[in-house]
Amino acid sequence: MRRVGPRSWMSHAYSVAEFVLPFLIIAGLWELLVRAGAVTSPSFPAPSTILVKLWTLATGRGVLWKHLSESLYRLAVGYALSAGAGLLLGTLLAMQRTLREMFAPILSLLISVPTIAWVPVFLIILGLGDRTVIMAVFLGGFFAITYNTIRGIEMVDENHVRAARIMGASGPRLFAAVLLPGSLVSILTGLRLGIGYAWRALVGGEMLSAMISWGIGKMIYQARFWNDVVAMFVGLMIIGVSGLALDRGLLRWLERATIEKWGMLTEG
Amino acid sequence: MSYRKLLLPLVPIALFLVGWELTARFELINAALFSSPSRIWRDLVTLHTRGLPERSLLLTHIGASLWRVFIAALIGTIAGVIGGVLMGTNRYIRRFFDPVITVLMPIPGIAQAPLFIIWLGFGDPTIITVGAIATFFPIAYNTAAGVRSVDQQLVRAARTMGASWANTLISVYLPWAAGYVLSGLKLGWARCWRTVIAVEFIAAASWGLGFMIWDAAEYIRSGVVYGGILLLMLIYFAIEKALIGTIEARTIRRWGMVRT
Amino acid sequence: MAGEGNDREVGYADGRVATVSSYIIEMEKVGKVFGADKRRVTALKEVDLRIPAGEFTVLIGPSGCGKSTLLYLVAGFERPTEGRILLDGSPITKPGPDRGFVFQEYALFPWRTVLGNVMFGLLRNGWSRRDARSHAMDYIRLVHLSGFEHAYPHTLSGGMKQRVGIARALAYDPKVLLMDEPFGALDAQTRKLMQQELIDIWQTTKRTVLFVTHSVIEAVYLADRIVVFTARPGTVKGSVPVDVPRPREYTEERYLDIRHSVLDLLEEEVMKGVRAQSESLTE
Repeated sequence: MRRVGPRSWMSHAYSVAEFVLPFLIIAGLWELLVRAGAVTSPSFPAPSTILVKLWTLATGRGVLWKHLSESLYRLAVGYALSAGAGLLLGTLLAMQRTLREMFAPILSLLISVPTIAWVPVFLIILGLGDRTVIMAVFLGGFFAITYNTIRGIEMVDENHVRAARIMGASGPRLFAAVLLPGSLVSILTGLRLGIGYAWRALVGGEMLSAMISWGIGKMIYQARFWNDVVAMFVGLMIIGVSGLALDRGLLRWLERATIEKWGMLTEG
Repeated sequence: MSYRKLLLPLVPIALFLVGWELTARFELINAALFSSPSRIWRDLVTLHTRGLPERSLLLTHIGASLWRVFIAALIGTIAGVIGGVLMGTNRYIRRFFDPVITVLMPIPGIAQAPLFIIWLGFGDPTIITVGAIATFFPIAYNTAAGVRSVDQQLVRAARTMGASWANTLISVYLPWAAGYVLSGLKLGWARCWRTVIAVEFIAAASWGLGFMIWDAAEYIRSGVVYGGILLLMLIYFAIEKALIGTIEARTIRRWGMVRT
Repeated sequence: MAGEGNDREVGYADGRVATVSSYIIEMEKVGKVFGADKRRVTALKEVDLRIPAGEFTVLIGPSGCGKSTLLYLVAGFERPTEGRILLDGSPITKPGPDRGFVFQEYALFPWRTVLGNVMFGLLRNGWSRRDARSHAMDYIRLVHLSGFEHAYPHTLSGGMKQRVGIARALAYDPKVLLMDEPFGALDAQTRKLMQQELIDIWQTTKRTVLFVTHSVIEAVYLADRIVVFTARPGTVKGSVPVDVPRPREYTEERYLDIRHSVLDLLEEEVMKGVRAQSESLTE
């Protein structure tokens, strides 16, 4: 159950600790196994080695930041585009029945293709660089956002619409005053799912685009050529943590300012 | 009027296909990059007939992918259900693994692939392993949720009537959690499919739909690329309708447990 | 109870003054059908009803008799499939601010405060923010919610939410107030309190009210006239005038008499409804 309202820093600290604990335990066991000599293959590096590598990459020539910032740049551009397009198209389709009946089946058909499968198409059409990756990010977020926007607007409580209409609201007024706030829960869900998918599409796209040199996905891909397992682990860690941060952190404050304040969380 | 529902979606599709064909024919767009629909069809057919009578290349590719998906889904499902049940029934296991799953689940299979390539090499072992991992997470997660939601009264009723733990598990927990498990399966299998294709892009040696598409892209044989994507759509749809549809119909719909 | 055929004078926005009938709402052979072919449902059939201005009219009937549907038709949320409804002589075609509606589930906008909700109709109809605010505050005071104007609806109790609903519907001065089982979701105590308050508010604002309910006690407490509906397809079965002076006591003799009259009319229809339902289950 989600608690609404401010929490003491102690309870925050406690839940963070609770979250991190399993990782510490696993890392600890793993480290022991390596130190004790039970696992000696170079393909299973000890957590300490991984952390050292993380440190080296982050400091020194700051290679890690270069990779990360390139990735985040692409993510930001692609996601912003997908959010804009998704909200627009979602709204349009939700309001116009004919358009929706025409395009909704096509949309479900397109969704069934894994985002990554479009990358070869983009590679052919858009080339092997940045643009392909951004396009992949766009696709990743676009579908989730569009779908949830449509659903949100469709599911606005009919009585709210009636109440607004009888008080004289119609057209764009009706949309801004009722349909938009009423569908916010679903839209925010879409934005949240969208950023998750966008991030995954980013990593995949970077791995397949030959002409880019920086990016977390690229970093992992390149590491294979040096057989650098440690770097791969670093990369995977970063992907996991970033994914989490994006999902939990980014939209939380927006949620808090709107749907939590309005008590709309438990509504369908 | 259900004619409306059937016909309307066809309008943009038909317009699109015709427009595409014409612009490719009249060289308005670069035909090398944007093969016309007729070209795509021809390329696919060629791929199918070229290797005959020994074997159809196209069907071999498709078969290889389907095989990998099948095995990966099998392993991932079994592991996922077991893991989910453990997590659902035991509080400590759940609290331990919940954060782990939360962090690991979103990591795309394709990112894990290079690591597994180093460990297991190219080809089936890597592809199937990564596929199985991708399948495992959503299934475990949803199964756990389903198991946790079981109404304890039913459990008590069963135990009073003399059922052992294992028996209770099978006769009470699993049917109750069936709805959740089924959404987990839907998610997990979809993920399996997507991951296998994606991993095939970089880890397949010579066969597989993913490999076929990637290989064609490298040689800019765009007809095969587009055709491949079309096949992905069709195969996915067929599997979803046929397989998952019938499973749902036989189980949760019959029991009246469908949630909208 | 307003007499038949007494004319009234109505002033229009462009300065005209016209004489209209004393009936503010006239329903002529109103019918409403939902769905098509096998799933066709006739909710209302040949409803003829005239509502005098300034009266408190209660519509009552068995479940499914279409009384709420009739209210929706007057509100303009739906259109009649037969006949027409006139408001001050003009046919009703869509929702508009000459009517106010109070919903059973409140339908308050959760993203606006109490004040924001009550101001909504005013702002939509050209009032300036400042005027709208003070006018809204008057109505918030009227429903005894002073101090809560900046609260969000989800923090309020059911009774309080409905008061906001009433204030919101009244604030922009509609000609008619439509109320669809507004107290149905409240517990018995709150319900009784709200009925009393509603009468107070009505007597202060003297609006025409069209009120739908299930409860005979509630109907007799509130109404100047009770219109009883038949089971589906709904039409007017009869109407019972209530000439008991207000404030009314549940235990007065005249009150109980009227209750009986209404119940007599109603019971037959309720039984018909129950029979129809059990028949449809065994189909």
